Amino acid sequence: MKKIVLLTLLLLSLGAGAMAAQLPKLRVGYVPEPAHGLYFVAKEKGYFKEEGVDVELFQFASAAEGVAAVNAGKLDVGTFGTTAPLLFISKGSDFTFIGGMMIGGQAIITRPERLAELSGKDLKVYKGKKIGLVKLSTGDVVFKGALKKAGIDYKKDVTFTEFGSAAAVVEAVKKGAVDAGLVWPPHFSLAEKNSGLKVAHYVSEFYPNYTCCRIFAHTDKVKADPETYKKFLTALIRAYRFYKTNEEETVQIYTKSLKIDEDIVRNETYVKKVAESNPDPLRKGILDFWQHIRDAGYIPQDYPIDSHINTELYKSALDSVIKKNPKDKIYKDMQTFFKKNN
Amino acid sequence: MNRCRVNILAVLILFAALLSVTTAHGGTAPGAVLRFGYLDVPGSRLCRTAATHGHFSEEGLQVKLVRFESSAAGLAALAAGAVDVGAFGVADTLRAIAGGKGFRIIAGGGTPEAGNLSQQKHGGISLPTEQHDGVVVLIAADWPFSEKGTLIQLTAALIRAYHTEYQQVATPLPETRITFDPNPDYWRLERIWHSLGLQHATMKRDFLARHVYEEIYCDALDRLLLGETDAVLQELFSKAICTPNCCPASAAKP
Repeated sequence: MKKIVLLTLLLLSLGAGAMAAQLPKLRVGYVPEPAHGLYFVAKEKGYFKEEGVDVELFQFASAAEGVAAVNAGKLDVGTFGTTAPLLFISKGSDFTFIGGMMIGGQAIITRPERLAELSGKDLKVYKGKKIGLVKLSTGDVVFKGALKKAGIDYKKDVTFTEFGSAAAVVEAVKKGAVDAGLVWPPHFSLAEKNSGLKVAHYVSEFYPNYTCCRIFAHTDKVKADPETYKKFLTALIRAYRFYKTNEEETVQIYTKSLKIDEDIVRNETYVKKVAESNPDPLRKGILDFWQHIRDAGYIPQDYPIDSHINTELYKSALDSVIKKNPKDKIYKDMQTFFKKNN
Repeated sequence: MNRCRVNILAVLILFAALLSVTTAHGGTAPGAVLRFGYLDVPGSRLCRTAATHGHFSEEGLQVKLVRFESSAAGLAALAAGAVDVGAFGVADTLRAIAGGKGFRIIAGGGTPEAGNLSQQKHGGISLPTEQHDGVVVLIAADWPFSEKGTLIQLTAALIRAYHTEYQQVATPLPETRITFDPNPDYWRLERIWHSLGLQHATMKRDFLARHVYEEIYCDALDRLLLGETDAVLQELFSKAICTPNCCPASAAKP
């Protein structure tokens, strides 16, 4: 009898293993920012497997290397900011944006004694100032976009000094080489904690819901297997719901997975809410972002970026989740947000 | 010959083969000499300056310059593995790439300024202000990816050479005015590519982009910028279109 039970268990485990092995696999690249935690929520809570996709996550230290890996077919999905995939698309890479990972997140830091001078809700406080930034970073692009929207001629009225890294920007602010600096999470929190600097503004105060890191894939792969990408997005939509309703557990998952200070994760994610982990593709935001890059003169020629944005997969994934959970307020809110931003 | 001897022989042959592969592009084996082909024209001055001022050595590289009379001869030598790197004419290089050579451009060089001989050289056709007879630095298709570090060192040496040239601006320039820029500048190359009619209908849109390794230039510049603040490097950085590094310094690949 014992032998029969053991044999049955063995067969069952082999069967389960075979089923897992049969799931379509997606190799997903990401960078370790606090708002990139939805992948880990979906993984930890089993949403990817439940939706029928086997996701393997790969952390990259460089956005350029990550996008190159997607271009070379070594990754099936990439999450490496907005600028990097746009630059590659403008040079001919056939990528398609299918979703998002982060909205907002950029902050302007300064020394404590300069804080009063930069206070208020008017971007005019930055006229005549010297701002340190990393060229083509999200902060660079959206801050210039916000200045333009506010009617400020930033090419004439603001001096920008470019640095090679966020750490170099923080250092320049500390030394007083610049009046303020544009950095992203967790750099501004680390600058506050370790260097005594202060956040003067979050760019979202002037420019709500701007796009930060987008989810993209090679167009050929998306076209070849849209169903798998839809399952992937469905899992992220469910992870977003978890993130909105289980704060403490989400903080633990983000902290453990991204190896970022727990207090910083909690503070940025739920206290100050400086960025949102939101899987919406934010089509309008991508197009605005591209226009800001063009306005700044970084790319000499235009390109129809809209043909590289697929909102249908996300819409279809969201519709299927709502069909199963018709009364869920969070999913309904996601739908409203989608309609407004796509 | 017994079986054991056959195995030892096979291992030795494999070892010899591996050795020849890893030293084919220099830089891999300690003390290997990198063979750098160049044209004896003003536009290839950066590689000569890098050699005469010891910038290759500063980057830990041993480089032997190999002179070529024409880009065609230099490109053929690069394709055959007779040299590891080349500083050859941009138009000839782009034509070779369009013709199927897998070269990758890693840096720029000297470009004659607008309004000189190049308009006559191209049958009186009015060319864009960026000239087709400038120089670019390129590597062969089979340069191993693991050798990215050597490419960054090589490009950093050329940036150092640009810095040296910049400081010696009072030195009389050759017979024609040359603009030096170590930046490979994809967008300039793309304009030349299209003006030469090299993009064919069957080519993918990113055909040229796959042959321009801008990341190397950005990485080299990034590394040099870590030193003392330098206005010349800062200016190069401001002109470059580099993908911003988005992550905490501690981030690392798994």
